[in-house]
Amino acid sequence: MMPDIHQVGEGQQMPSAPVVPGTPAIMLDHVSKWYGEVIGLNDVSLAISGGVTGVLGMNGAGKSTLLKIIVGRLMPSQGQIRLFGTDPFKNPAPYHRLGYVSESEKLYDWMTGLDFVTTLARLHGMTRDEARERALHVLEFVGLTDVCNKEIGKYSKGMRQRVKIAHALVNDPDLIVLDEPLQGCDPLARTTIMNVVRELGAMGKTVLVTSHILSEIERITEQIVILHNGRLLALGNLHAIRELLDHVPHRILLRTDNARTLGRHFLPHPDVYGVRFPDEGELIIETNNLSGVHQDLPAIIVRSGALVTAIENPDDNLESLLGYLMEGRA
Amino acid sequence: MIQPAPGPPKRNLAETVWTRLDRKATAIAEFTMRQYRKRRSTWVVGIVGILLITLVMLFYIEAMAEGIPSQDQDDDSYDSDGDGFPDGQEFLHGTREWDAQDFPGGGVTPDDPSDWVDEDGIDYDGTMNPNQGHDDDGDCWALDPFDRDRNGDGIPCNVLYVWENGTLIDIIKDRNVDEDPDDGEFLNEAVHRSFLLGFGKFGYLFVLGIFIPLFLATGLIRDEHEAGTLHYLVGKPIARAEVLMYRLLGFIGLAWPYFLMLIFFSALVTGFFGPGDSIYRFSDLGIWFGVFIASALTVLAYAAIFATFGIVTPKYGVLLALLFAFWEFVMMFLSMFAATRDMGLATLSVSFWGSEIINSTAWLVWSDHADMTQQAEMLGWVGDVALWQVWLSPFPTTYPIVNLFISIIVLLLLTGLFVLVGQRAFKKREIE
Repeated sequence: MMPDIHQVGEGQQMPSAPVVPGTPAIMLDHVSKWYGEVIGLNDVSLAISGGVTGVLGMNGAGKSTLLKIIVGRLMPSQGQIRLFGTDPFKNPAPYHRLGYVSESEKLYDWMTGLDFVTTLARLHGMTRDEARERALHVLEFVGLTDVCNKEIGKYSKGMRQRVKIAHALVNDPDLIVLDEPLQGCDPLARTTIMNVVRELGAMGKTVLVTSHILSEIERITEQIVILHNGRLLALGNLHAIRELLDHVPHRILLRTDNARTLGRHFLPHPDVYGVRFPDEGELIIETNNLSGVHQDLPAIIVRSGALVTAIENPDDNLESLLGYLMEGRA
Repeated sequence: MIQPAPGPPKRNLAETVWTRLDRKATAIAEFTMRQYRKRRSTWVVGIVGILLITLVMLFYIEAMAEGIPSQDQDDDSYDSDGDGFPDGQEFLHGTREWDAQDFPGGGVTPDDPSDWVDEDGIDYDGTMNPNQGHDDDGDCWALDPFDRDRNGDGIPCNVLYVWENGTLIDIIKDRNVDEDPDDGEFLNEAVHRSFLLGFGKFGYLFVLGIFIPLFLATGLIRDEHEAGTLHYLVGKPIARAEVLMYRLLGFIGLAWPYFLMLIFFSALVTGFFGPGDSIYRFSDLGIWFGVFIASALTVLAYAAIFATFGIVTPKYGVLLALLFAFWEFVMMFLSMFAATRDMGLATLSVSFWGSEIINSTAWLVWSDHADMTQQAEMLGWVGDVALWQVWLSPFPTTYPIVNLFISIIVLLLLTGLFVLVGQRAFKKREIE
């Protein structure tokens, strides 16, 4: 029972949470959460283990609530949550294996990045030396080595996100939970963070990441969970879900110098059931088979001789995905 | 040769749960202290406290430098008949003080009138011996022999101290014994002691003791919660109950040295500028030690109470703390006076038990205090000094050392109780 006053050298790392093989990292059993009258999460059952999982949903869909319940910040109003087999609200032991990046922008602005990560690493029971060593390691991993001795208050948004991620990785967790890690980041920080998340998945960690932007999640992972109004709407492979989407009415927007000619060339296509000209130089093709039209698109454009400057899929976003899933349900 | 199978790895006993908790404890306490250092409010509160104490010290130095002038209690420095000899000198030589023609002759030179002020001081030897006092100026021995033992104890020209169960209950003087003590010295001593006790109770226990935790400890958890950074601390493999305790530890790490520094400063000033012949009044260090113990425990208890208020109702925590401070203020006044204190209501406050620690130390350190009170009463000086207002007989037992322990235990129990309440509330708190 010697108090470790000097806090140098090597400390013994003992996982406080019992490791039961085969226990899913996260298990939710009919979890609901109300905020007074407002329902935040509605009867969600879920088990997640291994790999990167994206949680998709509009603002207010219950993504943050779900994550807060998973990391034990909130207590479910109904149902059970198990983090490595333990209730995280009642027992802090599973935090040993968890790294959590909250959506909140708040940080200790007066600390340097290195200080911040080191201090919080020490709360995992590391000695000063170990904590510092680990902190430097994770700061390098997220690409903040250059600025680790600067105050966090002087960091850009992307750096702030990355220092939060670094702090979550410092205990070498098995499960990393990231709440909107890409929000407000510049493209460079975005790419770095996406790479970090992908790399973590490749290292065999369980990663849970939320977003309201479909294309962002698409670049990170295929395994998704879709939340809508607090309900679990869909769960599975993103591409499989998209395949379903291909066969519902869909629009393709083309920007061209000669919309009318181009439109005429598209009409005979068996999958196209209508064309519209919403604006000068714009053509909208309405179709039931998105991939079929996309396949023939280049040939038709060449045949028409029109100059096309852009091809967009205005329906290829979360809203239309949700719309489809909702209707499919009804 | 067969090697024995390796058993489970031997665990170093020095690396037990305690060691790891300790690591987390130092991490949080250290973090808390650094956080305080970075906040402007900490510095403002700290500097205001230092200024306050310095100001009071300046007043003290001024009061002590001026002193309280001595008076001629028996009026014998006055020359009633104008023959140049003070009445006391004439009386000693048996000449008539009202007759200008009758004065000590034979080469006796007149005394300086000031020689007959404070010429017969109190000769209390500090023991329970009933026989005390000397006739320093000889004016008792100048009386007729049958007049020399007015108190009837069989000893001429002495003072009879009447003790009952170790308490001085009465002082009966023979005529002209100890009749003109050095009241300047006595009153300076009394004022000094009153100052120490009053300042210890009001200045340290009450003003600093309550306001420093009020400003710095109410937000230990609440501020983190409101700033949205609490999840960094509680999202770690460490129980929330411990987080609260280690945050309190961080506060104590700041507050105790601060109080120690200020009390040491006060002890230096009052020790060097206080009354007495020695350069430094070492005997008062015991009092200051008592003041430090009292404020340390009081501050700890208040910190636990205010931090708990901040957890239980983050919105009204400060308001609740202010109401509580007001309650403590009223109780402090009740515990100041024997009559209201002994009603017992004040025992429902932290400040009461804090001031009992100071009262008990005063009993232990200034063992002649009760006698000083009696002497002052005997000399009719009760109204002159506030000595009796800040110094109270022991409570709840008659043994100061027992009271000291009772007070310390009560304060620690109060602290523990509120820490437990805070921990329970914190455990159930959702971090939005």
